[in-house]
Amino acid sequence: MAEFEQEGGMTRDDLVQRVALMEAMIAEGRRYTGRNSWIFVLWGLVDLTAWAWQNYSAHLGGMWAWPICLTTGVVLTLAGKMIQKSDKGYSRNNTCSYVMGVWGMMGLAMGIYVASAIVTHFSWQYSYIAGLLMMLGMAHAISAMLLRWGMQGLVAAMYWAGGVAIFVCNSGRATNAIMLFEMGVVMMLFGLYAMGREPRRSGLQGGCA
Amino acid sequence: MTNMEREDGTTREDLVQRVALMETMIAEGRQSTVRFGWIFFLWGLIDLVGVGWDELKSDFRWVWPITISAGFVLQFIILALRRKRGHRCGGSMRGRSVAAVWRMMGLTVLLYVVAAIVQHKAGQISYIAAILMFVGMAHAISAMILRWLAQGIVAGIWLAGGVATFFVPRSYVLSVFIAEMCFGMILFGLYAMWMERQDAAVVAGQTNA
Repeated sequence: MAEFEQEGGMTRDDLVQRVALMEAMIAEGRRYTGRNSWIFVLWGLVDLTAWAWQNYSAHLGGMWAWPICLTTGVVLTLAGKMIQKSDKGYSRNNTCSYVMGVWGMMGLAMGIYVASAIVTHFSWQYSYIAGLLMMLGMAHAISAMLLRWGMQGLVAAMYWAGGVAIFVCNSGRATNAIMLFEMGVVMMLFGLYAMGREPRRSGLQGGCA
Repeated sequence: MTNMEREDGTTREDLVQRVALMETMIAEGRQSTVRFGWIFFLWGLIDLVGVGWDELKSDFRWVWPITISAGFVLQFIILALRRKRGHRCGGSMRGRSVAAVWRMMGLTVLLYVVAAIVQHKAGQISYIAAILMFVGMAHAISAMILRWLAQGIVAGIWLAGGVATFFVPRSYVLSVFIAEMCFGMILFGLYAMWMERQDAAVVAGQTNA
């Protein structure tokens, strides 16, 4: 057995190749997030619109603000994804598929959670809002672990902190302010940050749709 | 270029090898989940003990903090014992991704539960629904990564439980929670433990042969 060969029969070159492949997969996964980061911005705007409608234009069917805005958000997201998918030249590796799975399942879980709470009139509970932020934090945290992305880990921590803060503050006004900050500032800022990173990189190597 | 060869130079053998490698990776990922199947079983039992204790001593506020802490202590003791016996987590990309999903789910649930208990919000419907949703989301992501139908069904059971919590009368919420612990936690844990035994028997058979 050669000096640089391991017991498993893997040479140093094999190891270097594997590490390079893993790094490429992680980079591609981040590009995937960057390419889809418009969704964060979109949902930040959707949430802000619904919040403003409910609080400042309640006489214009305020009780329908969230159902209408959320449905519009879902339609716009699906339309955007369809347009993106028709764009050729994007490959998809395992890491991209995992990250896609994380956000897809988060969307599914959150969708049925929100719909159930609104239909049964439980959306006023603090634990409902805290649950939403925790769910978002969990998805960001899993994605950050998969992509080894410190910035996304920070975003996850901010969502978790928001969820905990809702319980700690225990007031309607504070819950409103926290929700506004998380949806308006954290979500949109992260979306804009990821969008800012995406064009520089996708022009070089392509990404995953 | 032979007719067996594609335009990008990938031969049929290459493709067969790639598919075989992917199947091996998926199997490795499932094995890593199966190896930790006892954790589902353990937490199912712990939660049922907590529910039973809470029913008997509803005026004692420390039921859940003590039960959850005992669960963590037990989990770490069993983990340490298994590590001593040579049981280790698989190092494949899928195995690590699934581990990341469960770690982040654990952290999310822990932060959420502690904050809600400290602020006396653990009785809210949205609180219980959110916990079921977190676990369902983790199962769903893991099922997507491992392409494991059985786990996908378990995810469906958890998500359905989360929805049911909003819709059933308040007196049935506890029954939903107990059903989730029995079917989504204990039964799945037993199934995973049974699969681990099957895998061990196959390995032992191959070694003897």
